[in-house]
Amino acid sequence: MSTAVKTQKLTMVQAITDAMATMMREHDDILVLGEDVGKNGGVFRATDGLEAEFGEKRVIDTPLAESGIIGTSIGLAMNGFRPIAEMQFLGFIYPAFNQIMTHASRIRSRTLGTFTVPMVIRAPFGAGVRAPEIHSDSVEALFTHMPGIKVVIPSNAYDAKGLLIASIEDPDPVLFLEPMRCYRSHKLEVPEEKYTVEIGKGARLQEGDDITLIAWGAMVDVIKKAAKEIEEEEGIHCDVLDLRTLYPMDRDLIAESVQKTGRAVIVHEAPGTGGVGNDVVSLINDTSFLYMRAPIKRVTGHDTPVPMCAIEDDYLPNADRVKQAIIETVRF
Amino acid sequence: MIEVKLHDIGEGITEGEITHFHVSPGDAVKIDQPLVEVQTDKVTAELPSPVAGTVKEIKASEGEVVTVGTTIILIEKEGSVSGGGGSSDAPKAEEKPKSTHAEEVKKQRTHTAVQTMERLTRRVLAAPYTRKIARDNNVDIEQIEGTGPGGRVTEQDVYTFIDGGSKSQPVSEPVAEETGGNSVAQQPVYKSLEAKEIPFKGRRKQIAQKMTQSLYTIPHVSHFDEVDLTNLLDLKKSLKAADPDGSKGMNVSLAAFFVKALQLALRDYPIFNAKLDEENEVIRLEGEVNMGIATDADDGLIVPVVKNVEQKSIATINSEMKDLIQKAKTNKLKPSEMKGGTFTISNVGPLGSTGATPIINHPEVGLMAFHKTKKMPVVINDEIVIRSIMNVSMTFDHRVADGATAVAFTNRFMHYIENPAAMTLELI
Repeated sequence: MSTAVKTQKLTMVQAITDAMATMMREHDDILVLGEDVGKNGGVFRATDGLEAEFGEKRVIDTPLAESGIIGTSIGLAMNGFRPIAEMQFLGFIYPAFNQIMTHASRIRSRTLGTFTVPMVIRAPFGAGVRAPEIHSDSVEALFTHMPGIKVVIPSNAYDAKGLLIASIEDPDPVLFLEPMRCYRSHKLEVPEEKYTVEIGKGARLQEGDDITLIAWGAMVDVIKKAAKEIEEEEGIHCDVLDLRTLYPMDRDLIAESVQKTGRAVIVHEAPGTGGVGNDVVSLINDTSFLYMRAPIKRVTGHDTPVPMCAIEDDYLPNADRVKQAIIETVRF
Repeated sequence: MIEVKLHDIGEGITEGEITHFHVSPGDAVKIDQPLVEVQTDKVTAELPSPVAGTVKEIKASEGEVVTVGTTIILIEKEGSVSGGGGSSDAPKAEEKPKSTHAEEVKKQRTHTAVQTMERLTRRVLAAPYTRKIARDNNVDIEQIEGTGPGGRVTEQDVYTFIDGGSKSQPVSEPVAEETGGNSVAQQPVYKSLEAKEIPFKGRRKQIAQKMTQSLYTIPHVSHFDEVDLTNLLDLKKSLKAADPDGSKGMNVSLAAFFVKALQLALRDYPIFNAKLDEENEVIRLEGEVNMGIATDADDGLIVPVVKNVEQKSIATINSEMKDLIQKAKTNKLKPSEMKGGTFTISNVGPLGSTGATPIINHPEVGLMAFHKTKKMPVVINDEIVIRSIMNVSMTFDHRVADGATAVAFTNRFMHYIENPAAMTLELI
């Protein structure tokens, strides 16, 4: 593309709205459904303006019943529509877990490929915005464990639009997780036209030879900050990776990076036990064991529910915790 | 019931003396747990348990000499039941609670046994990447002393080892303390000579047999010469000056130069790097030079082997030789480290001899001994100058080679030693 692309400065939540509007303009079979997604434009305004543009038949306010939203979406998807279901918060997805687990993820396998479920489940998630209990959960690991469903997590506006369009185009169910902390934390130039960011490909945000930092979602900003500070303070150069997709994971990018640096710190805000960070450790073990100069460290949330907002910051990984882990790993 | 027998631990041994039992009847043992220590002709070896189970019977005693194939220990395999019952469970269920208490006691014993094993077979601490470097360079990481936290082998340790550098400081520190302590407590104690009998077995007997075999089968001829070490000593001095604390591995022993010079000479006279196979009527010239280093250990002469010296730098030869000698003196050589020699040196100079008729390390063809270096007046260009002179003794198998060849070979060796600069031209 040599001609200048027309861009606009958008927050991540605006880029998400833009992605849905762009695709809905092109394809009549795309529907949006969820609690308060219509007139209210969603609890985070992610569907703002969609009902006005596309009407009540394509932007559907549903009853407060997550199982019903997902069940309905599965039926629509199997019958020629491409639904985008919104969970108000990822922590509200538990009633729909059965629908996702027993139906959405395995229709393709159950019908030997006759039917697929081309749906997207969008869900804001993560702590750090002073939301009450349940609203702040990071339970991405529940879904990466489930064969048949892809798990995508953008960390910025550009990726959000490209990844959401790729998710809508994907023939299988995609869980699209939106870190709430990133919704309005910064703006980026986002192309006005349609473009995609490939699912399953991570991004290298910074080149470095000493250690690989790996994160996704809101923790990407944390590792970027830690990488910048540790370079100034200790002269340690970090290779900074944003995984962007947790399932399927970018095996090549991770292997290539850790084989270069020989060290890794993985950061996620979900509790450490059973967290996706463990899968990254396994992947490194499988691909790059002989290259490792130090044990891989994880910096994660604690094995507790996300606490009330007064002590939320003590739960979340921050740049200082990451820097401590970097130093321990490099000096191992 | 599993019978643990004395097997051929290495190099075709036929018998061994049991020096220590690590287990007693009734002990629970794990797979590979050391059961008994056996002193063979060459090494002190531990026989590991082939199965997990319980020691039923010990069929030999400490101090006893057993031959290969003799059953030493009987072990009941875990899970099997004495009396040979099948798999009917009901009666056995009652026995179980009784054994659990005993198991607890045994567990503790097993624990100490395992610790012993870890001390005896070196478990190297090293990060995977460090292991990769060692593997890529064909270095046995177990040979490397670690200087990292907790004795961990670091990447630098591997590179230092590859470069033939000196060993870690943390290892040498305690030694320095020890010698310091000893010098304080120097108190001469006089006592009468003790009359006693020393058993003629183990290492001593093995040495005797080898020497007899060598001397009675090989017609030995020795000749002597004098080699001028002055230039080599100057070179050594300048290397040391460039690396005063030895950290760069430049402080190389004379013996390492001798080994290299011999290897270069053997390249031109391969007949001395050979073995006579009388049965098949061939003289087998060896493809590599594996230098045996006659070493004086507490139990007697032992000959560890520096392998493939033709592929190694003088610095590497030096560090490997030091390492092997250290192991020989602490009785830690593995059988593989004593095998495959093609030529042997005996460096008796530091002990102070001026001549000898060395006995060939059968079935090799040649052996060279190096004696004390003395400053002597020497005539060079009709002038008397003081040079550092060392005697060498070269013994060879007269069935395989003749005196003229042996003299030519020795001259070639001396040429390299007297002109170390010329030697550098030959290095790969």
